[in-house]
Amino acid sequence: MSLFAKFEKTAALYNSLSEMGKNPFTVVMEDVLGPTRATIKGRETVLAGTHNYLGQTFEPKAIAAAKKALDAEGTGTTGSRFANGTFSGHKRLEREIADFLGLGHCVVFSTGYVANLGAIAGLIDPSEDVVLVDADCHACIYDGCTLSGAETIRFRHNDPESLDKRLGRLDPKFKGKLVCIEGMYSMYGDTAPVKEFVDVAHRHGALLLVDEAHSFGVYGETGRGVCEAEGVIDKIDFYTGTFSKALAAIGGFVASNHKEAEYLRFSSRPYKFTASPSPATIASASAALANIKATPALKAKLWENANRLHAALTQYGLKLASGPAPVISVLLPTKEEAFAAWNFLLDQGVYVNMAIPPGTPGKESLLRLAVSSAHTKDDIDRLVAAYGAMAEAFPSARVAA
Amino acid sequence: MNMQQSGIQADDDLVFRRICALLDPLNKKGVKLTRDVDLVADLEVDSVSVLDIVMDIEDHYDISIPVNTISETMTIGQLVDAIHAIKGQQG
Ligand SMILES: Cc1ncc(COP(=O)(O)O)c(C=O)c1O
Repeated sequence: MSLFAKFEKTAALYNSLSEMGKNPFTVVMEDVLGPTRATIKGRETVLAGTHNYLGQTFEPKAIAAAKKALDAEGTGTTGSRFANGTFSGHKRLEREIADFLGLGHCVVFSTGYVANLGAIAGLIDPSEDVVLVDADCHACIYDGCTLSGAETIRFRHNDPESLDKRLGRLDPKFKGKLVCIEGMYSMYGDTAPVKEFVDVAHRHGALLLVDEAHSFGVYGETGRGVCEAEGVIDKIDFYTGTFSKALAAIGGFVASNHKEAEYLRFSSRPYKFTASPSPATIASASAALANIKATPALKAKLWENANRLHAALTQYGLKLASGPAPVISVLLPTKEEAFAAWNFLLDQGVYVNMAIPPGTPGKESLLRLAVSSAHTKDDIDRLVAAYGAMAEAFPSARVAA
Repeated sequence: MNMQQSGIQADDDLVFRRICALLDPLNKKGVKLTRDVDLVADLEVDSVSVLDIVMDIEDHYDISIPVNTISETMTIGQLVDAIHAIKGQQG
């Protein structure tokens, strides 16, 4: 059947992983024991491959707020933001996010993925606009470009000069130009030189969208992201984010100082044609936001843990993708070694993410450790011990002596 | 393939050769590089690597090749032709 023929190769690879060991893409968290622990294959495991940066999954205030909303407003909205799915909680949360970021406007979407689709496809007219995208941007930004139907040009990762060149040689026929980057990139844990990108984009009359999915709550003096750390949060044009990481819920948003961002509410199909986040989801995201605002110690703890882990892994001689960050990636030369090392860590009672090409920026495969402020001293000790054993067992994961 | 008209041949050859040079390190199975070789199916070069090669070509020829013109299934010859078309417009 020709419809299925194209899957054969990938299916063979996928199935062979399960035969060689445990398959990273079919892991089930059997019992969730807390923000950093779950049982996997019957065994208690330290979770370091979730994006629970600020440990909010079990925040009592967020759980209480979600329960209250569930009782008061029911299980779901049964409709899209555009139609019957906007409750007062959605509007309130939009205000809270805008105020937190110091931006004038915020539009809440159903996920971060949908927010980026909605922003790009909602802003862009393929007959007159063009999008320029950092080479390492997340799939949802590329999918947003595809959905927009516009001409899309890739520039070199974190390279404002490469963007400058591409903007410089654009056909003058283009009226609108949108540049998309991220704050912190989740594969290597590296951050964008946002200030330079603002300068280059604006010099060419382009607008800049920054996806702070992984950096919201985590970077900057008050947790407003890499844009804040770079001192340009009021200069960028669109700020996109997700509730699924630092806020430990589901949902996403687009924030902006341009009042025209409100037009997304009618121009954006991903706003109009999918159900809005449930009341309990909105309530927990709102409570988590209030909590992380009021508790700077969470971010401080995250960074303390990140620095400690990064130092320990460096000491083991492991080949790391970047400096200390909430995502710490070890580079491995092949898929097979990454897979074996990932299984090795799981056998040590540690769950991290495995990423292999083409899902990774370079030719390397990665083991991505996502740090949480909720990682206890015991969690960190276990992580350090497991990585130490891995460094011994996998010389190819180490920097050549 | 009627690439034998003089003029086109020489220039075509340069783009072709440049692409082959960029593909060479990725050609792990030692496939003979001809215009009919499919980047993904025959060379097993992943889609992101194809885009990275495209970026090298962009910088070499000082042109922009939209992601949209690079399809999932593309032969070396189709890539060469796409670059010629864009060079014609932009160059
Ligand atoms: C950069 C980036 N943007 C957006 C998303 C999507 O967020 P969500 O999980 O809310 O759909 C992710 C998460 O995987 C991401 O890494």
